[in-house]
Amino acid sequence: MKFALSGRRAFIVQRLSALVLLAFLAGTALRLALGPLPTRDQWQAWSAQPHAAALLILVVLSLIAHAWVGIRDVVLDYLRPARWRPAVLAVVAVGLAWLLARATYLLVLHAL
Amino acid sequence: MQGSRRPVFLSFARLRFPVGAVASIGHRISGVVLACALPFAAVALGRSFSEEGDYASVVDGLQSPAGRVALIVVAWAAGHHLLAGIRHLLMDIGVGASLPAARASAFAVIALAVLAAALPLAA
Repeated sequence: MKFALSGRRAFIVQRLSALVLLAFLAGTALRLALGPLPTRDQWQAWSAQPHAAALLILVVLSLIAHAWVGIRDVVLDYLRPARWRPAVLAVVAVGLAWLLARATYLLVLHAL
Repeated sequence: MQGSRRPVFLSFARLRFPVGAVASIGHRISGVVLACALPFAAVALGRSFSEEGDYASVVDGLQSPAGRVALIVVAWAAGHHLLAGIRHLLMDIGVGASLPAARASAFAVIALAVLAAALPLAA
C-alpha cells in the first residue's frame, strides 16, 4: 500500500515542519520570557490580525503534517498484525484531517 | 532460524539498551503522547477565542489533579521530543554525530526532559 507521504518526501516534510515548529516555539518562548504573560484579551487581539492568523495556520499545518509522518512511522514499524495497519492509518488520517480543518476554521473565523 | 539449536541470549536482567536507543524510543513515545494531546489542544484553542467562562474552564481543568498529571506528562513529552528532535537535526548536518558526542547528547536529552517534566510543578 502506497501512502501520499512516504520515502524521501516524508523525510523532507518531517524536517521542514520540525523547523517551522522549532522557530515558532523559540519565538513564543522568547515572548513569554521577555514580558508578563499575555492576557486573554491580548491573545485574542493578536491572533485576530491577518498576519498572526496566517502564521498560526502555518503552524497548525506543520503540526498536523509532522504528526501524520510520525504516527505513520510508528504504525508501520510496530503495529501487529500488519493487516490492521491500513485501517488504523485511515482512522488517524481522518482524525488529523478533522483537527486541521477544525483549527483552521477556528483561526479564520476568529480573524474575520 | 527455526529448529536452530544455537544458544539464545535473552536475559532481560542483563540486557542493556544503549543510551542512544533509550533517547530514540523516548522520541517516538513522546511523539505519540503529543499527538494524543492534539484534540485537547484544539478544544483549548476554540475556548481561548470564546467568552471568559469558557476560557476559565480550561484554566480550571489544568489546575485539577488530573490536569496537573496531564501537564507533567505533556511537559516531559514536549521537552524530550523537542530536544531529541534538535539532536537529530544537528546530526543530519553532521554536528555531534561521533559516538562519544552522540552518547553525551542522548544523556543530556533524557535528563533535561525529566527537568522539563518538573516545570509545571514549579509554575
